[in-house]
Amino acid sequence: MFKKIMINFNKYRFLLMQLVSRDFKLKYKRSVLGVLWSLLYPVLMMLVMSAVFQNIFKFSTPGKSYLVYVMTGLVMWNYFSEASNLAMSSVFGNFSLINKVYMPKYIFPLSKCLVVGINFLLTLIPLYAVILIESTKYENLSINIYHLALPYAYICLFFFTLGVSLILACVSVFLRDMVYIYGIVTTIWTYLTPIMYDINMIGNPTLAFLMKLNPMYLYINFARQIILGDQNGGYLPSGQYFLACGGSALIVLLAGIAIFKWKQDKFIYYT
Amino acid sequence: MSDIMVKADQVSMRFNLGIEKNFSIKQGFVDLFNPKKRAEKKLNRQRNEFWALKDVSFEIETGEVVGFIGSNGAGKSTLLKIVAGVMKPTKGQVEIHGNVCPMIELGAGFDAQLSAKENVYLNGSILGYSKNFIDSKFDEIIDFSELHDFLDVPVQNFSSGMVARLAFSIATIVDPEILIVDEILSVGDIAFQKKSIEKMMSMINGGTTVLFVSHSIDQIKKMCQRVIWLDHGAVKEIGGKEVCDDYQRFVGA
Repeated sequence: MFKKIMINFNKYRFLLMQLVSRDFKLKYKRSVLGVLWSLLYPVLMMLVMSAVFQNIFKFSTPGKSYLVYVMTGLVMWNYFSEASNLAMSSVFGNFSLINKVYMPKYIFPLSKCLVVGINFLLTLIPLYAVILIESTKYENLSINIYHLALPYAYICLFFFTLGVSLILACVSVFLRDMVYIYGIVTTIWTYLTPIMYDINMIGNPTLAFLMKLNPMYLYINFARQIILGDQNGGYLPSGQYFLACGGSALIVLLAGIAIFKWKQDKFIYYT
Repeated sequence: MSDIMVKADQVSMRFNLGIEKNFSIKQGFVDLFNPKKRAEKKLNRQRNEFWALKDVSFEIETGEVVGFIGSNGAGKSTLLKIVAGVMKPTKGQVEIHGNVCPMIELGAGFDAQLSAKENVYLNGSILGYSKNFIDSKFDEIIDFSELHDFLDVPVQNFSSGMVARLAFSIATIVDPEILIVDEILSVGDIAFQKKSIEKMMSMINGGTTVLFVSHSIDQIKKMCQRVIWLDHGAVKEIGGKEVCDDYQRFVGA
């Protein structure tokens, strides 16, 4: 069975590439700055966020660069929220295709996660630019050897996002309300994930504990431990942290695959 | 050569007509506590069931050209979609031995904002072609569609006839073992129609097995060796060209 899936995947790998390249081409069509927006947008977002939260709410991360703190969380969170939102509407948005030609349906959410993934890799350029600029101000901030472990966090983030995307794409076929529900859920989730603030600011220990169960917090915090670390600079997250990240991503991905596989033959009746 | 290429075994397909009915949480919740309504709903659900195909069985051998006729809603397109793998039948099964080229609705997945060239690759990949294959056949596709001067023009600026020509050229570039054709021979202008029918004929003569749906009885008579007449989802008659005459007598035309 695994072999069959691989043969099928191989056959449609070119389609996947075509879908990804189409989305990428169309994303910045007729815009003057084009792909530069991928680099500029997160920086501008970071500046707005940090201006608001540093000046109005007086948030800060003593001994660490607040800009890098926000930026690390922001690029990862933006990836998750953009990819999962696009993937959610990818299956019912392509009903006109699914209706006429056979193709594996998971290809649509997967292609969205990959397109936004390419964009995510581009946003790493401004992230490193900010790290370099800020490292002139903070002695404990530098690009250390542990950065080699960062791809692990990003892979976990990708698997987690793909799993959530498969579930959302599947549910939204049957229940179009999901688009609005998930909009609200994302907003709540954004505030419950420590992107702009430090989790230690949460006074209520139960709430803080619950917030630490959020997989998105795990991945972002994994990256922050490496990039920012403590007073002495970045460090390698513990083995337990590796396990927690990988485990949560894998569980969600497998759940997504199982749910999608279970329901995919029914999609066609809900066009 | 008498290998079975397509074998349909008691294929039935159920659709739920009530799916589009407005359902709201409020009404659903109210009905939940009303046993009368619940019974009514169950009845409604059964009434809303629609069997698009009922126990359809047939076998098609290698190289045969089989026409499907029947009035609108008889289940022809549903049957072809099941053979193409787009849908799974509710009951029964379809066995297919060979690669299928479904020409059910052409131009599925064209992106209006992309150029003709990009669409050849996108549409080709949707039909399951590989990159190498499209690379090698690219010139042939463009030659057949006669759209040399419009390669870099976005498809949204094409006329509908030009889109159809491009789509037909992409779809027919393969040499499939099983070809599924659903009402597509009436694309483009008269010159292109003639060309497309010639292309179909050459594919048929090349030994391809063809499943063919058309409302043009003349076309069916001209091209098909065997005809399957579907009526309200069931097979009414299977046979040679005489089925066409029976059908015409039946509908009184």
